[in-house]
Amino acid sequence: MQLRKELVTFIGVFVLLALLPLFIHQNTYMVGLLITCLIWGTMAAVWNFTMGYAGIFTFGQFGFFAVGAYISGMLAKHLGVSAWISMPAGGCGACLVGLLIGIPCMRLKGSYIALITWALHLVLGPMIKVAEPLGTGGSTGLMSIPSIQIGGFVFSRTGLLPWYYTGLMISFLILLVVYRIIFSPVGLGFVGLRDSEDFARTLGINEYKYKLLVFGISAFLTGLIGAFYVHYAGAISPRILGLDIFLLVMLMLIVGGIGVFPGAFIGGFIILILNEILRPLGPYRFLIFGAVVIVAIKAMPEGLLGRLNRLLETKRTDSKASSQALP
Amino acid sequence: MNIWVQQIIQVLISGIVTASVYAIMGIGLSIIYGISRVFNFAYGSFFTWGAYLAWVLFNTFSWMTYPIVFLIVLPVMFALGMLTERVVVRSLRWRANWQVTTMMVTLGLAFLLDNLALIVFGGFAKPLPPMFRGGLNPFGFTLSIQDLLMVLIAAAVMIVFGLFLSRSFVGMSMQAISQDMTGAEIVGIPIKKVFSYTFGLSTALVGMGGILLAPRYYISPHGGWEPFFRVFVIVAFGGLGSIKGTLYAALILAIFEAFISWSLGATWVLPFWFMVFLGVLAFRPSGLMGTWG
Repeated sequence: MQLRKELVTFIGVFVLLALLPLFIHQNTYMVGLLITCLIWGTMAAVWNFTMGYAGIFTFGQFGFFAVGAYISGMLAKHLGVSAWISMPAGGCGACLVGLLIGIPCMRLKGSYIALITWALHLVLGPMIKVAEPLGTGGSTGLMSIPSIQIGGFVFSRTGLLPWYYTGLMISFLILLVVYRIIFSPVGLGFVGLRDSEDFARTLGINEYKYKLLVFGISAFLTGLIGAFYVHYAGAISPRILGLDIFLLVMLMLIVGGIGVFPGAFIGGFIILILNEILRPLGPYRFLIFGAVVIVAIKAMPEGLLGRLNRLLETKRTDSKASSQALP
Repeated sequence: MNIWVQQIIQVLISGIVTASVYAIMGIGLSIIYGISRVFNFAYGSFFTWGAYLAWVLFNTFSWMTYPIVFLIVLPVMFALGMLTERVVVRSLRWRANWQVTTMMVTLGLAFLLDNLALIVFGGFAKPLPPMFRGGLNPFGFTLSIQDLLMVLIAAAVMIVFGLFLSRSFVGMSMQAISQDMTGAEIVGIPIKKVFSYTFGLSTALVGMGGILLAPRYYISPHGGWEPFFRVFVIVAFGGLGSIKGTLYAALILAIFEAFISWSLGATWVLPFWFMVFLGVLAFRPSGLMGTWG
């Protein structure tokens, strides 16, 4: 069996991440940063899966993230549900919202989908404030959300390693699902739709069904990350729908490359570490990031890692070609 | 007169006033999407920047008046829009995935402009001076002259724009491109130039909307997203490409908005727009009288 390059990178990155705490486990700041990278990197990877592979121009991923986070947080806080049940429940809630939006809009053109999903993002903040009687915490947010526990062991806010490994596991499972779909017949159907829509349709690929399926799955996975985030952070407010973090995750996608499999996930680490380094710049940081988005898309629409990938591939085919030419 | 009737008329007037401004902005969005086929995510940021530029003029020169503000800001916005098309959008057009990349690049521009506004003007909301003080009192309810002026200016803009589309060469080229881009190119219409003009015109229209609405609402760095969203719903509801449709949609939705914010409170306004949006897309994606679907 031939191993795919993508699978090797994917497994390699996770092995590296699993070993990393051996060297930095005393440094709580670093472990915390890594957990943040995991959360947003996974989110970017799922976004990339929806946008880069399935060709659905969604800008509503943060909406699903917030829905998953709020449902899980509210279940755990108000009803005392264990985090292991409330997290998948949050994912299911996000999936439901995704399907509700997906059913009317998957038949429409790309820019409409972008707008509807973006509208979900914009409208969710006010909705959360309106729904304060339901226990959303209104504009101040939901505070003191119970932490995760296994058996009798409760994850504390000071020892971050259990959080790190739980996050790593969730993130691994999510990326595994994404990987399985990308390299399944469904995923190939999408590549077909993306590259030559009419031809794929004549081959009998039902665009609507597949798109809705992927949209639902991506909403579920994003909701799940949101649910993990809410237990880790212990609090959430409508500020999660702010534009700054949206910009950061979009940058991860751009740097990682749209339609490159583990790219966006790795992009997450690059961008968040860069964000920490540039923190002294204050508000100028986001000005720079906005400019970077424009320059990066104009200079290399396929993303930094996509560009690297292509360079490597051309080199390889070049050497192959030359070796064939000289037997 | 009955106090309820009086209040309802007041709400109705306020709805019509906002509708007129939304209609101008709707036309701007409609042409940019209908003609240049680019979805401009920075539209809301240009709305804020139009208002900020006016604020700068008012705060630098004490003698500043609205006519002069319009005379200065609108050409600047026009140039800004053309510049955006040239520098940010043009090289991406027709390349692989260009509809996604143009959306993302304009989203990046929106973040750039918003954060620039945040740095330059700070996070606190800024007011513009009222356009005109005083009001009329026909039949016992108040009608401020400012509101009247807003409606008149908006109506004038729409009439001039309609004439521009049907009489001028650029306007007719725009119509031709929106109907059949390849055909327009074959008969020798300089489509690249027309795209630039479209961006400029659309940006000037939204900047005008920003200036007109700023005396009623405050200006803040991220304040452009909500009007942008509303205007998009209006354009979708009215049907892309139909100026008449945009006008009706703006009237219907802005009056509804005024009644909802009066009876249920302002927090319900955005959810209302979202529901309308979903309803339109589920039942009639081409809008009331859309031609482009």
